[in-house]
Amino acid sequence: MGEPDFESFPLVPHGNQFEDFPAGRAFGHHWGRTITSGDNALFSTATCNWNPMHLNAEFARAHGHPDVVVNPMLVLCTVVGLSVEDLSETGGPFLGMEGVRFHQPVYPGDTLTAGSRVLEARESASRPSTGIVTWHTEARNQRGELVLEYQRTNLVAKRRRASRD
Amino acid sequence: MDSLTNLTGSSNYFEDFAVGRRMRHARSATIDEVENNYLSKQVMNTAQSHWNEEIMAGSPLGDGRLVFGLITGSMTVGLASQDTAENALCELGLDAVRFKRPVHHGDTITAYTEVLDTAEDPERDDAGVVRFKHWGRNQHGDVVCEIERLVLIKRRSHWGPQ
Repeated sequence: MGEPDFESFPLVPHGNQFEDFPAGRAFGHHWGRTITSGDNALFSTATCNWNPMHLNAEFARAHGHPDVVVNPMLVLCTVVGLSVEDLSETGGPFLGMEGVRFHQPVYPGDTLTAGSRVLEARESASRPSTGIVTWHTEARNQRGELVLEYQRTNLVAKRRRASRD
Repeated sequence: MDSLTNLTGSSNYFEDFAVGRRMRHARSATIDEVENNYLSKQVMNTAQSHWNEEIMAGSPLGDGRLVFGLITGSMTVGLASQDTAENALCELGLDAVRFKRPVHHGDTITAYTEVLDTAEDPERDDAGVVRFKHWGRNQHGDVVCEIERLVLIKRRSHWGPQ
């Protein structure tokens, strides 16, 4: 039995492109993520953030917390990660963020879900094959409480026109 | 209180952050398999440019896996964290986050900080808010990211060693 023609297998596409981001469009992002103590310890140590508030539970408890405080940079990275397929997986550099606000602490065992809305989508003057899109993203914990919000801006590829392909 | 103050440094309370103070943080870190390839997947970043070596061959951004910008940003904050947040009560937020150049596996990040502003917290007298600006530079001296960061930091007068 020979091998099949793998090139003929249809690709299962993921992600969106510039034309998919009219201002005001809302996305509820996939999956959600429970942040474990292991996630927090690994991320914090791998990024040289050895702060006892994130890695010493007794120290965190002495400041009124029930456990270590999850490193906010892990919260931010995870929320952006959950949004990537909907917003930015199809490529285009991550340009920046504004108004990142950590509204309340996240503790090990908390579950984050995220959603975004298109604030602005505009053409790129210098790169006609791409546009610039800004989204507002919010993340909530398992009690529906807002834990994080921010604005993110990326270059986003446009769909190729058939005549150019 | 003394057992707490023994765990953190004594030169990084709110009173120590005068506007304009600059810091070059002593330790740099190389970004490689754990820091980008694994952490990008740990945080559910589905963009395979961060963890598929083959797909990035010949990319205009440079060959090989592209480091997720927020991993570079998190490393920059991490490298600055002992000097700027060891006596923090909480991280409040970030502004003006910019990714200036691509970072690849094997690149080494060094963090630099300037105190942009300080402010009272109207709701408490035991801590104040500091606005830092952080820069991450690669081994060639190129700035790869810039971040402004707001942190609520303990006052020595209330929390410091007795």
